[in-house]
Amino acid sequence: MTGIAGVGAYAPAGRLPAEAVTAARGQFAASGIEQTAVPDADEDTLTMAYEAATRALDAAACDPSAVDGLFVGTTNPPYEEEAVAPRLVSTLGLSADVTTRQLEGSTRAGVDALVDAREAAEAGGRALVVASDAPRGPPDDPVEHAGGAGAAALVLDPDAPGEVGEPVEHVSPYPGTRFRPAGAAETTGLGVTEYDREAFRETVAAAAAALATDLGDADALALQSPDGGLPYRAAGALGVDTAAIQAGTTVHDLGDTGAASPLLGLASALAGDHESVPVIGYGSGGGATALVVDGSAVPVEIDLDGVETLDYAGYLRRRGEVTTGEPEGGGAYVSVPNWRRTIPQRHRLVAGRCRECGTLAFPPGGACTDCGTLDAYDDVALPGSGVVEATTVIGQGGAPPEFVEQQARGGSYVSAIVALDGPEGGSVSTPVQVLREGEESVAVGDRVEATIRRIYTQEGVARYGVKMRLAVA
Amino acid sequence: MRDVYVIGAGQTPFGAFPGRSYRDLFAEAFSAARDSVDGDVPTGDIDEAVVGTLGVGGRQLGLPGPAVTEHVGLHNVPCTRIENACAAGGYAVRQAVQAIRSGMADVVLAGGFDVMTDMSGDVTKYWLGVSGETEWERLTGTTFSGVYAQMASAYLEAYDATPEDFGRVAVKNHANGAKNPKAHLGFECSLEDAVSAPEVAEPLNLYHCCPTSDGAAAALLVSEDVVDAYTDERIRVAGVGAASERVGLAQRDSYTAISASQVAAKAAYEAAGVTPADLDFAEVHDCFAIAELVAYEDLGFCEPGEAARLLREGYTDPDGELPVNTSGGLKSKGHPIGATGIGQVAEAFDQLTGDAGERQLEAPRYGLTHNVGGSGGASVVHVFEREEVGA
Repeated sequence: MTGIAGVGAYAPAGRLPAEAVTAARGQFAASGIEQTAVPDADEDTLTMAYEAATRALDAAACDPSAVDGLFVGTTNPPYEEEAVAPRLVSTLGLSADVTTRQLEGSTRAGVDALVDAREAAEAGGRALVVASDAPRGPPDDPVEHAGGAGAAALVLDPDAPGEVGEPVEHVSPYPGTRFRPAGAAETTGLGVTEYDREAFRETVAAAAAALATDLGDADALALQSPDGGLPYRAAGALGVDTAAIQAGTTVHDLGDTGAASPLLGLASALAGDHESVPVIGYGSGGGATALVVDGSAVPVEIDLDGVETLDYAGYLRRRGEVTTGEPEGGGAYVSVPNWRRTIPQRHRLVAGRCRECGTLAFPPGGACTDCGTLDAYDDVALPGSGVVEATTVIGQGGAPPEFVEQQARGGSYVSAIVALDGPEGGSVSTPVQVLREGEESVAVGDRVEATIRRIYTQEGVARYGVKMRLAVA
Repeated sequence: MRDVYVIGAGQTPFGAFPGRSYRDLFAEAFSAARDSVDGDVPTGDIDEAVVGTLGVGGRQLGLPGPAVTEHVGLHNVPCTRIENACAAGGYAVRQAVQAIRSGMADVVLAGGFDVMTDMSGDVTKYWLGVSGETEWERLTGTTFSGVYAQMASAYLEAYDATPEDFGRVAVKNHANGAKNPKAHLGFECSLEDAVSAPEVAEPLNLYHCCPTSDGAAAALLVSEDVVDAYTDERIRVAGVGAASERVGLAQRDSYTAISASQVAAKAAYEAAGVTPADLDFAEVHDCFAIAELVAYEDLGFCEPGEAARLLREGYTDPDGELPVNTSGGLKSKGHPIGATGIGQVAEAFDQLTGDAGERQLEAPRYGLTHNVGGSGGASVVHVFEREEVGA
């Protein structure tokens, strides 16, 4: 039997209200959505996966190195080819021999990842499943208007409380409901309203019917939510109350979160003290996967609140639709092999401790700044907390070329020096960006904690690394 | 060790001359230096040349030294290029002193140049950031305005100073620069202007930052053995000090002081046998207003945290106890990277020889120049003395 050691969920802080789209475009083409979550300029499905996974591991009090398998579901990985797992494993601090699987191609991928993770856990392993997504579509397409962002993660463990039930699946060909041709950046559908509704209703109902559980008993159902209307249209076919659908979806506040939708709904329902929650993923091309999760006594850590409201112009900026990209002029060149050499520092804040005098060095290397001993360090993992020692706000015009696009999309940013806490006292300082949400400002003396964001992109290769955010008081 | 004398020093106007070439600017500075010498300095007398440049724009990254010295006719004269970011010029002067003291040369040309205004703003910012620590510091999205702003944030936190004090640096240096026909921004500004300018990197605004300039400067240094052949003036290099520091600000022991400047100043004072109280003026590296405050403390003009008080009390005004940046400094005179440190020497030479025009101080004897590279990764300090002839 597979239990759940912990659940985590994350959504970006930015929100685009439906009215802002209506005001700008004259219409809002997605039903039942009040606002959508918008990734920050340095966020993508990899960084959101990190956010959700760290919360799940934290809730589970699980040592990352004890994870045996990582299962990721998304329809929008940062790269169509190049797996997210190696960098996600590295940033999370999972062990190098972990089994990794990446599921794509359908919004069902998140629940499918849960199914694969369950299988691994049934075999006795500890599995981390992460669904992360941020769907985009053409400007006037319902997929674009509905498109939100978020990620959810579960740590599955044979010895943990709760249970992930036996999955059932059903496929039925419904081409054209939701698709993205090879090489395209935007997802669309033919928009044949009755056809789309039938595809959804028939497929999810067929999967639900195969479940051993009667959905009528559920007070929360985590059902795939491509928009805020479709799930409710299936209430009759599924034999569930609309209140149960509402209790298991985040679509009204986050928008369509694609492959993350059912697991975000599950996390939200478990955080709302619902215990037995059927989960149904549905996706692109016609297919559904269903299972029942018993989340009794499962710790949940979610962070789904919107902090900043965007107008439509701000949304377009943040998405990079109306920015010009990196200007001519060249960026500070750090070769990819050279970058890779520093990955333990960029991803996990691995510092060095001088073997002679114990002083911390970050990055480790060269002469000890205290005793001068050359290149004699033991690796020490820093906990990721620290205090701001010096700070500035880089506004318009102040960014070097390789950061102009970040500035154009995300607005002014904070560049600081932070004294990183040592594992057993002491500290070591590093330059680092400090993220702000809403009206936050950063001052000398503020406590901060580490997360992972995209630092910059060079030669087409995104570089991810530590940024800080203000610590929760 | 042989004494070294500056027999001449000069510079082009600093400013925006996108139509001029770096060779052309260097030639003008060379002529200005040579013209400032009492007697003639035939080209054939010059044994050695040292040229400071960062190479902004990448126009001649390799061999920029010979590219300019051959242009001005120093044919087959050994030339070494010095790169120490914004301290390249000061280090070129130091290298000239070393060549003469070692006995390898009697007459050395120290020159410097950079051309910064013939590029787009983005290309300029790329070059302004190249001397920051690249792998970590720059990748938090900073150029030098950001790094000095971080220093300013720590300074404001540590001491009783305000952004208005940064404005006072601009007011003083612009007032000085308005009297300097070679200044890039040779106009006065009010404290109101200086505190209300657009923000560049909080807490620094536009008036807390020096401009990017085009220009060249040159100085001619000779040994005590040959000085009589060229001039009756005796402008002696009384002391030289230089030091390095970790390139990235975060790696340092302090963000409110530049240890390289402290060490360099101490060495220069000791060599010259003077203390800060003996100085009659100083040209300090005010690339950002915070840098001038920090310089007062690093150079021993006051205790740490006291620099703002000096500014408020007019201690460093032209009629104060220790006039600082009578030339206008980097803020008003301008900052063509490789030329800057030698431009400071040109101001010191003019003050000590009584040729500083409207800016002339009354019979100064000791003057100091202070030239910093990057955010403090390199610093060089010179103390010059006007010796009484016949003394």
